[in-house]
This record gives sequence, C-alpha cells and structure tokens, in this order.
Amino acid sequence: MAGTSKTSNGRTTGATIGTLSKIDAYGFKRGEDFDYKSYENFESEYLAVLARRMKRWNEKVLDNGQAKSVKHRRMVKRFCRKGIPERHRPMVWMDVSGARKKMQKEPEKYQKLLSSDPDTLEDRLVQDAINTDLDRTFPDNIHFQVATAENQKKQLNNILIAYGRHRPEIGYCQGMNYITALLLIVVKDEEKCFWLLSVLIDTILPQYYSKMMTALRAELNVLTEIVGTKYPNIQRVMDSEGIPWMLVASKWFICLYIDILPIETVLRIWDCLFYEGSKVLFRVALFLIKDKETVIKECNGMPDIIESFKNLKTDDRALECHQFIHDCFIETNPLPKAEIKKLRTKHVALVEEEDRKLAAKREAR
Amino acid sequence: MAAQRATNNAAQGKICQFKLVLLGESAVGKSSLVLRFVKGQFHEYQESTIGAAFLTQTVCLQDTTVKFEIWDTAGQERYHSLAPMYYRGAQAAIVVYDITNQDTFARAKTWVRELQRQASPNIVIALAGNKADLANKRMVDHEEAAAYSEENGLLFMETSAKTAMHVNEIFLAIAEKLPKNEGGTNRPRPEVDITQSNPPGGSKGCCSSH
Repeated sequence: MAGTSKTSNGRTTGATIGTLSKIDAYGFKRGEDFDYKSYENFESEYLAVLARRMKRWNEKVLDNGQAKSVKHRRMVKRFCRKGIPERHRPMVWMDVSGARKKMQKEPEKYQKLLSSDPDTLEDRLVQDAINTDLDRTFPDNIHFQVATAENQKKQLNNILIAYGRHRPEIGYCQGMNYITALLLIVVKDEEKCFWLLSVLIDTILPQYYSKMMTALRAELNVLTEIVGTKYPNIQRVMDSEGIPWMLVASKWFICLYIDILPIETVLRIWDCLFYEGSKVLFRVALFLIKDKETVIKECNGMPDIIESFKNLKTDDRALECHQFIHDCFIETNPLPKAEIKKLRTKHVALVEEEDRKLAAKREAR
Repeated sequence: MAAQRATNNAAQGKICQFKLVLLGESAVGKSSLVLRFVKGQFHEYQESTIGAAFLTQTVCLQDTTVKFEIWDTAGQERYHSLAPMYYRGAQAAIVVYDITNQDTFARAKTWVRELQRQASPNIVIALAGNKADLANKRMVDHEEAAAYSEENGLLFMETSAKTAMHVNEIFLAIAEKLPKNEGGTNRPRPEVDITQSNPPGGSKGCCSSH
C-alpha cells in the first residue's frame, strides 16, 4: 500500500512533487492518462490515514501481529471497511475469509492437487486455456512481464490448475487469472493464494464462473432490479435506450473491479469482500451508477453511457479510496442481505428457465 | 487516425451508425484487430478480454460517413452464454479465427451458423483469418476458408493485426456492404454528434478517431 514500502515502489523517501514512479506500488505501469498531480494530493492525505489505521489495528485488533478472534466482531467489520493495513492484509484476509481454517483442515490438499495428474481431456483443456492466458495476464505489470516473471507465472499457472482440479465442474474461467494474479501480488504466497481463491469462488461469490455463467447473468438482472428500485430515473433511461447492465457491468462482477477502478480502491473493496461477502460488489456497482446519474440522464444514446463508465480508473472520486468506500456505504444503505438473497434466487431461476427454453428451441430445429 | 481517410466532405453526405460485434475463439486476435483499427496499435501480449469491450471508430466512404459501434467480446467458450446480448441488433459481425489453428476455424463456423440463425436477418458477416503474418505455421487453407465464405455469403479476408494487413480493409468492406438507405437498419439517431465536432468545410477530413 502506498507509503508503507517507499523504496520498493520506486518513491524516494520524503518524496516531493514530480517524484512519483511510472510504476505503482503493486507493479502496474501508470497509464499515459495517469494524473500524477491528483494522485500526489490524494496520497499526501491518505498516508496519514494509513498511519492512523495501522496504529488502530495494532492497538485494537492485532496481538503480536496475529489477529485475535476476528470472526463476527463488529469492530473488525468496521476496521475492514476502513481499510486493512497493507502489511496485515494477507493475514487478515486469510483469517476473516475462513481461508486459513480451510488450509489448516487440509494441509496437504494443495500439493496433492498439483502433483496429481488426472490425465483427462478435461484437465488438458483447462491447462491449455490457462496457458493461453498466462502471457496475457497483466502484461504491463512488472511482476508478470513476459521476460522477467517466470516464477510468478509458474505460481499463477499452478494455482489455476490446482483450482481446476479442485472443482472440475468449474475448471478455468477467464477472469480468474486476474484475480489470482492480484492475490499473488498482495499475498505473495502461492498456497495461501490458492485457498483465498477457493474461498472466494466456493463460498463468498455466487457461481459466476460456472460453465453457463448462470449466476453472473442473474447477478446483472438483480442489479437491474435494485437500480430500478433505488434509482428509478436512471433505470428508465437505461430501459428506453435499451441498454442492459450486462453491457456495462459484467466485468465489474467477474473481475471484482480489477481493471475497472484504481488498484488501491479495488483492494479496499476486497477488504470488505473477504469479511462481509459479495454484497459489497452491489454497493460499489450502485454507487458507481448513482455517481453517473447526471451523465446518464443527459446522454445522447448508448455509446455515451458506455463511454461514461470507461475511465473510472482515472476518476478522481474513485481514486480517493478512503472517501469512496465511506460514501459508498452511506449512499447504498439500506441494502438488506435477505433482499439480495431473494432476488438472486428469483433471477437464477429465471435465467435457467430462459436457457431451458432456448435449448428446447434449438432442439426443435 | 488508423482508419483510411477519404477526402470528401462528410457534411455533404449521410452519417450512419452501425453496431458491429467481433466473435471467435479465445486468443485469435479479436481485441488486437480492434486495437489496430481504432488506435493503430498492436501489443504482442494483449490482455484477455473479460465480458466485452466497447469502442467506436468512424470511416468515410464516397458519400457516407460510417460510425462503427464495436463490441469486442470474450472468446472463452463459457462466455458464449453472454454473446447474444452483444450481437442482438448488430448490423455487422466479424467472426475471427487464427490461420495457425484449425480448431479456431471450426469454432468460427459455429459462430457463423449461430449468427445466421439468431442474429438480425440482414446482418453483414465478415470472416477474418487472422495472424496471416504467421504463414509458416498455417493450418487453415486460404482456399478452404474462401470457398466456405463464398458458400455462406460472407466477406472474407486474411488479416494480420500485427502488420496491419487488411485490417482497415475488412472494416471498410463491411462499411461498403452495409445498407445505408434512409430508414434502413441504421438507427434514426440525430446526426449531430459527428457533424458538430467537425465544422462543415473544415480541412481536417471527415473522420475522427474516438
């Protein structure tokens, strides 16, 4: 995270304006449109926030660098929302998500998955698909650059193959490569990353990555319904322009905001995701949509609306991650879990029904 | 400006907007073709597309300016269930395969079949045999693909996003073939966004990249 490892992220100590590296703390190249001035302004304030949060975590939650009992404690929920300090992030994610428990319960599982060789067509197809994407995962990130990152790529490959064997009915879905790569950048431990990926896909998220991606398609319909309730004026425009949210937001859910929002903001969302679950993905989606209300209402057709959601990575509001998360929760409250559960069940059934009808139609031809 | 310019003044002609979708197996070069066409760039390692990416590009014909609204889709098989959302209402499609991979050609044929059955009846379909610069690794015959295209009424070109070969050409050929009659398939949208950003009689030509 910004500021905690100044030498590794290329910033000189006591950085002055104009010394920000072209590569960020996580190894991503800053784009040509990166606004160094805005970032420096943001960072000078955020560093103070981080120092304060670090102190609070050390005082209240951590005991000799170990999390105390963190489950279901209101304080930890609040603390995760306010951001987990970079140094503690791997440990806290492992704890609050339940990944550590899973890993301890089956300590040999990961190695076994890796060394097993199912020698099935299915496994070979998964390996091929992963292999196709290895060089195409964060090619601009110094940790995954083609020439220099053999080790990280091997780890990425291992985790994805192991996951495919752990859940052959899911195998490999594009998008998992980015999630795993970001886990590796943050957690830097292959086996822990495997367990975090597993807990994300098996427990925290709906079955977005399944072969029919039913839950993902349903999720976008759930979003549509919630937008319709919370922001009917926005939904009216989307309906009259004939733009399903799928066109705008499918990557938001598949990639958990990677490559959509600035990296610090993504990690702050993940802090909530690992503790509270997938509801935060809706909160962020709703907040982004609400933020574009004026643009959507005044837009001139579909391209305008799609374009307006394209440059969120350099959007000032999205960059200010601390304020962003704070405002996001306030704006989107109330958002009852039970309601989302109900809507998910409803829309999964509807999507399945649609698929059944489509299949029957094809059969009839 | 990557796309071919024309010297005529667009303010005199019509402006048509068309929705175009790219389909095809993973890693055949769909995003690379679009990147070459829209920005004139090529990346050896192009990030895999998740969901779909939206871009626009304008090309000029003799008397018409054609603005493409391009949906570049994800290629992995399971993303297939999302595809109808992107090709629904599309007036044009480029189905892409990789000339060095026979499987991708078979996949391209199933995309063509699906479009012929499910997409708009008048959709203009082009078949692009990409990675033509890798001719020494060729696995799909040019003649075979050409004959298949002929049978199915498709535009066909072998392309290379890397060398830019036939990239603008395939989009231009589509633009030429699209019906540009008033009240045709192009949406009756206000023709302001392009003409206003290019003052009539301006010397910059009529195309603008987005």
